[in-house]
Amino acid sequence: MNFAGFLLAQSLNALSQGAILFFIACGLTLIFGIMRIVNFAHGGLFMLGAYVGYSVAAWTGSFWLSLIVAPLVVGALGAAFERSFLARLYARQDAGAYLMVTFGLAIILAEAIRLAWGAHPLGVPIPDRLRGIVLVVNQPFPIYRLFLIAMGAGAALLIWQFLERTRAGLLVRAVAQNADMVHALGTDVRTVRTAVFAFGCAMAALGGVLSAPLVTAFLGMGTNVIIDAFVIVIIGGMGSFLGSIIGSLLVAFVQVFGAYYFEDLALALMYLLMLAVLVVRPGGMLGKEE
Amino acid sequence: MQRVVLAAVVVLLCALAPVVPPFTLTLITEALIFGLFAMSLDLMVGYTRLYSFGHAAAYGLGAYATALMLLHFDLPLPLGILAGVALAVVVAVPIAWICTKSTGVSFAMLTLAFAQLGYAMLFRFKDVTGGSDGIGGIPRPAGPFGLAVFQGKLGYFYLVTFCLVGSYLLCRVLVRSPFGAVLAGIRENDAKMRALGYNTRAYKMAVVVVAYGFGALAGALYTPFAGFVAPELFFWLVSGRVLIMVVVGGAGTLIGPIIGGAFFLMLEHELSEATDLWPLIFGAIFIAFVMLAPEGIWGLLTRHARTQPPRPDDDADREAPRAAS
Repeated sequence: MNFAGFLLAQSLNALSQGAILFFIACGLTLIFGIMRIVNFAHGGLFMLGAYVGYSVAAWTGSFWLSLIVAPLVVGALGAAFERSFLARLYARQDAGAYLMVTFGLAIILAEAIRLAWGAHPLGVPIPDRLRGIVLVVNQPFPIYRLFLIAMGAGAALLIWQFLERTRAGLLVRAVAQNADMVHALGTDVRTVRTAVFAFGCAMAALGGVLSAPLVTAFLGMGTNVIIDAFVIVIIGGMGSFLGSIIGSLLVAFVQVFGAYYFEDLALALMYLLMLAVLVVRPGGMLGKEE
Repeated sequence: MQRVVLAAVVVLLCALAPVVPPFTLTLITEALIFGLFAMSLDLMVGYTRLYSFGHAAAYGLGAYATALMLLHFDLPLPLGILAGVALAVVVAVPIAWICTKSTGVSFAMLTLAFAQLGYAMLFRFKDVTGGSDGIGGIPRPAGPFGLAVFQGKLGYFYLVTFCLVGSYLLCRVLVRSPFGAVLAGIRENDAKMRALGYNTRAYKMAVVVVAYGFGALAGALYTPFAGFVAPELFFWLVSGRVLIMVVVGGAGTLIGPIIGGAFFLMLEHELSEATDLWPLIFGAIFIAFVMLAPEGIWGLLTRHARTQPPRPDDDADREAPRAAS
């Protein structure tokens, strides 16, 4: 295998991994931007998405349907959680309270999933149309991973255009900047918050559904991925959407190439990258220092 | 009144220790170790409002350092534990320096990053740390000074109790000292304290290092107790659990987190025997406390009994300590 081909294949690998990470990180960063909440349950919601997706695919035989149903279910759950728990804490102005309530939700989710689906990993087959490999410049590459890259890029583009071009997107950005002022100007900030939280949860679920065919749906997929997502959001800057894209790609490339070149340092590399960024820019690459 | 009750509880524990079944004694010992761990975090969370989500690093550092000391240097037990704590404190200084660059959520995430980095490093240096297997077969050496008494279950219980009570008294002195008053000031309004001329960063660094020291002491006590150490000691779920213990026990009270830590260990033990649903119950209890009783168990217990409010910032009338910077 020549070097250029190897580089290309690894880069595509990293891009597809970055796409999965992006689905979790973008919700996390949007939620933080709007509500200053670090959602510890995000990994659990990602996992719930994978399991709901598994069940929908198993019942209906359609992977595509699970791509739609799972995010809707998890998004609705997220909205309910925000309304019944988080919304009651806004007045308290205590960052620790959110951290801990969402941590409690993470524990409950992990346990509820174990009870509902059992402890065994559940394999989700890759849909027929995305099975197999294609040759990318003479390198064999799984079609499914190319599909992931396309999904990630498409979602990033859509959300970015939504935030920049639509009135609703303008509202989201405005609430992130100054919620009290937006509220005073007659917008229902509560609804914006619930919607963004639900959307973030739905995106995490979508990421879960998409990653299940690669790694199966298993208990612990949430705890693994949430830390990656935190690192991404911190590197990119908490609350910055563009930062979450850059962070996802950076972390994915560090993970893929790190695993190849520095095998025994691979786990530590990501944290070292994060510490390096934070020491230089305490607010993250595109974040504001608070 | 509180003081009398607490002293009575300690005396009662020590008096009953020789007669309770060995299994119960083991459980109590572990509960006290966790109580000490939770109390150390309270210095940061309750008194300075520095939410650490990586306090497992302190615990793990103390545990691993002590394990290596006992295994390779054949130190007597108390010295091995002290050496473990000393090493953890040294490592804590650069960690504190970097983490206190930021506050709030970023601080929480930085501490988390260091704990996870420690977790990752255990796998990197497999030869020393044993990788995912951890280190087993850790002895409780007696050493030359007739300290063999700590080798037994009962003796070890007394050692842990002694460390916990001593640490509690030290921390109590600390939070009621002028230093503690500055911490409370930082908790309430960092910018104001800076404007008053305090180098708040130095104070925050100091409290982080102290909290790491006591957390490492808990970890160091755990090592000879369990006889082995594993990478899970560094994992972020441990950090999350100890934070839960602090909040449920009652942040900013020192005694609350000790009760919270001990309470949860007991509860976990009882519930996990009775039902496999316990993590679910655990999570629900935790959310309920944050939502309904943010003052924690100790706050609830003393709500009616207390004649004077428990928090050190109520000494605000006292003359402010001189600027140290």
